[in-house]
Amino acid sequence: MKKIEIKISGKPITARAGETIVQALWSAEMAESVQTGCAGGVCGACTVTVRYADGKPGGTELACMKPVEEGMEVFPCPVESDKAVEPVANADALTLQSVFPTVNRCTKCGSCTTACPMSIPVMDSVMRMQQGNFNEVAEDFTTCIHCGLCRFVCEDKVKPHNMGLWIRRSLGKNQDELKITIEDSNQVEKEWQYLLIDEKQERFQRAKKFRESGSL
Amino acid sequence: MEWAKESLEKVERSRETRLHQPAPLPNEKESENILKNFHPDYLGKERTVGVGPNAGDQKFPLELADLLEADSPLPASHSTEPDIETDVLIIGGGGAGAAAALSLEGLGLKTHLATKLRLGDSNTVMAEGGIQAALAENDTPRKHFADALVGGHGENKTDLLRILCESGPEVIQWLSKLGCLFDRNSDGTFRLRGGGGTSVPRVLACRDYTGLEIMRVLKDAVRLSSTNILEEHAAVELFDDGNSTVTGAVLYDRKKGSLVNVSARAVILATGGSGQLRLQDFPTSNHVGATGDGLVLAYRQGCRLKFLDSYQYHPSGACYPEALAGQLVTEAIRSVGAQVVNAEGVHFINEMAYRDVLAGAIIKETREGRGVTTPNGKMGVWLDTPMIDMQKGEGTLAKQFPGLIHRFERYRIDPVKTPILIYPTLHYQNGGVSVDAQCRTEVNGLWACGEVTGGLHGKNRLMGNSLLDILVFGRRAAQSAKDHLPERGPLTLTNLNQFRKNQLKPKYSPVFFPEASKMKLELGALESEVKITESPSSEQTGSFEPPDPFAR
Ligand SMILES: Cc1cc2nc3c(=O)[nH]c(=O)nc-3n(C[C@H](O)[C@H](O)[C@H](O)COP(=O)(O)OP(=O)(O)OC[C@H]3O[C@@H](n4cnc5c(N)ncnc54)[C@H](O)[C@@H]3O)c2cc1C
Ligand code: SF4
Ligand code: SF4
Ligand code: FES
Repeated sequence: MKKIEIKISGKPITARAGETIVQALWSAEMAESVQTGCAGGVCGACTVTVRYADGKPGGTELACMKPVEEGMEVFPCPVESDKAVEPVANADALTLQSVFPTVNRCTKCGSCTTACPMSIPVMDSVMRMQQGNFNEVAEDFTTCIHCGLCRFVCEDKVKPHNMGLWIRRSLGKNQDELKITIEDSNQVEKEWQYLLIDEKQERFQRAKKFRESGSL
Repeated sequence: MEWAKESLEKVERSRETRLHQPAPLPNEKESENILKNFHPDYLGKERTVGVGPNAGDQKFPLELADLLEADSPLPASHSTEPDIETDVLIIGGGGAGAAAALSLEGLGLKTHLATKLRLGDSNTVMAEGGIQAALAENDTPRKHFADALVGGHGENKTDLLRILCESGPEVIQWLSKLGCLFDRNSDGTFRLRGGGGTSVPRVLACRDYTGLEIMRVLKDAVRLSSTNILEEHAAVELFDDGNSTVTGAVLYDRKKGSLVNVSARAVILATGGSGQLRLQDFPTSNHVGATGDGLVLAYRQGCRLKFLDSYQYHPSGACYPEALAGQLVTEAIRSVGAQVVNAEGVHFINEMAYRDVLAGAIIKETREGRGVTTPNGKMGVWLDTPMIDMQKGEGTLAKQFPGLIHRFERYRIDPVKTPILIYPTLHYQNGGVSVDAQCRTEVNGLWACGEVTGGLHGKNRLMGNSLLDILVFGRRAAQSAKDHLPERGPLTLTNLNQFRKNQLKPKYSPVFFPEASKMKLELGALESEVKITESPSSEQTGSFEPPDPFAR
């Protein structure tokens, strides 16, 4: 396998082409230099910034998902989580502004969208937040892993992902109660008695039959 | 994927035929043969252990047996002075721990939640496919029960399983109230999908990010609660009162590099699974913290472990590109129509077979030379993802599985057009700490919930039953701890010292981190250092500001 050189906070290490930054750090006994959680791209722990030798524009990445490249320089960039904000049923743009007053400070610089490792159109979504298009915002933030990079890069202290989650949870509060059907309790008890017979083999056979018939 | 061109052509050519004549489900005899000869659980890579409550009885995978017999990393001189006094200490910040914390809210109890990584960095956040609940018109908790019992080879603890199935709808209601948004049909009802072994569509999802959706909502709610959150605090050992009641835990604060003694009236163990032990060198789908720590801690207190000879190897772990090796490709992909196909383009088994059988069948296929070999020498079979749009309409895959697309995109693989290569990955710890229907372990003062426990799923868990498990039993553990809260007891290391007398291995456990990461907690060294430099070490403990990446 091809060997390549990368740097972590200035320290050179050798990596194998095709592996991720995290895999390279593990082999180099430098696992502690970048925090990890899932190593699968969904927890947002392993945020880093990278620079490339060939002058290609660098940027923010998830170290557990980003394959190493020759001459790449990696800098850990852990993002602290921000204070949580209680969601509110029937929220609208005004409610959002009252709990996240910085929502209107967005200067449309686009940095958040560039920074997002999940390709979420963050800036556009901040516009939708200002307009109160919450269903669309909820859809935008479906895949948000809360890495916090969008907040980290925002010079105007807009907190896109905190607002995204707040909007999703607030919409969640508007959901109708589940209709849970009340069943005939006699029938229910009979079925349980049938399925819960003590003898293990018989119980297994009954469960198999029940799967097919669906009732007694 | 030039290197696989020939095989891919065969897969494309056979698609039309396979679509109309899919392979049948294996019958009982065939399933049994596959399991016996090819499933990693059945290959004899296990042994009994010589110490503790399971000494000489059931078998454990070799890697785990070593850990159960190993010594504690805690220095013998460790002081038992409490640093924190709390009512309930929850260990583990995944779904089970978070559900327990939320259920203790408003009861007037002081609660601490300690977790090794950050809150939510867990197996829970990684769950993709969904969560089961008997919500369909034609479904009942009894059908759910029957499916899970058959799936678990009849070995499930039936009292636990009944509770699980009966609590499904209520848990979905609870999650919805907290603000979880599950996918819905155009008429507003929940979209329910089938999964391997379900007789009725029963799986709710949020795209292929179901665990992410649940975990980020729970995490937010826990942050808003009165729970005291101790992030990057790994539980190293449990305290007992000298009379076999658990009374607290020793935590290792990873940021400060120091040990913290917690005195608690109840301890709830929610440390999850052990996929990172990478049994038999399998890759794993699990998060970095899944190293079976809870099993080791409970075992030293005298808790018996159950069914740990049984692990779930998920049939569809990615096996190419290598950077993604072991990462999960959700079963839901199979339930919406992607077939499992060998190098010759043959649909060698129906993909809705039980997970253990399907995993065995894939291993068989590759062993017998009908697999695809990657440029790195790994073997796998195809998961024919382009079939999904063929059957369910263009755009279905991208819409329902954005996570899959997103992950492969980087490697210029588009699952909409090209099948992906899969091989079984170590996924789920079927067994664990034995608990009763109240989540009480066999030792007073200690409760357990979630993947760390064993019995509920028998010898094979169905998709979507684990997310339900952790929420149902996380909440139950909290309720039971509250109802049976012992008085505060003294902190002693009596059980540990007793265990140490018989200790067999010069190794240390828990291991806390995957071996491959080479991360370690050096507690022995730490203890002596702490004594010398006791006073001014607080500088490093201040707030944790992200450093300017370009400053150096
Ligand atoms: C990739 C993947 C996909 C999955 N998909 C599904 C699915 O679709 N449906 C389904 O039902 N199930 C699924 N599962 C299984 C399910 O997600 C897990 O079984 C479940 O979430 C476990 O929850 P838990 O709270 O018990 O453990 P976890 O969520 O793993 O949480 C345990 C926590 O304890 C911490 N911890 C560990 N050791 C210590 C220690 N010594 N001290 C302090 N803290 C510690 C861990 O770091 C972690 O934060 C999937 C699992 C994986 C890995
Ligand atoms: S980074 Fe901040 S200011 Fe720039 S577009 Fe995003 S939210 Fe607006
Ligand atoms: S929206 Fe923000 S927090 Fe969410 S994934 Fe993108 S950058 Fe990370
Ligand atoms: S470690 Fe979780 S996203 Fe990288």
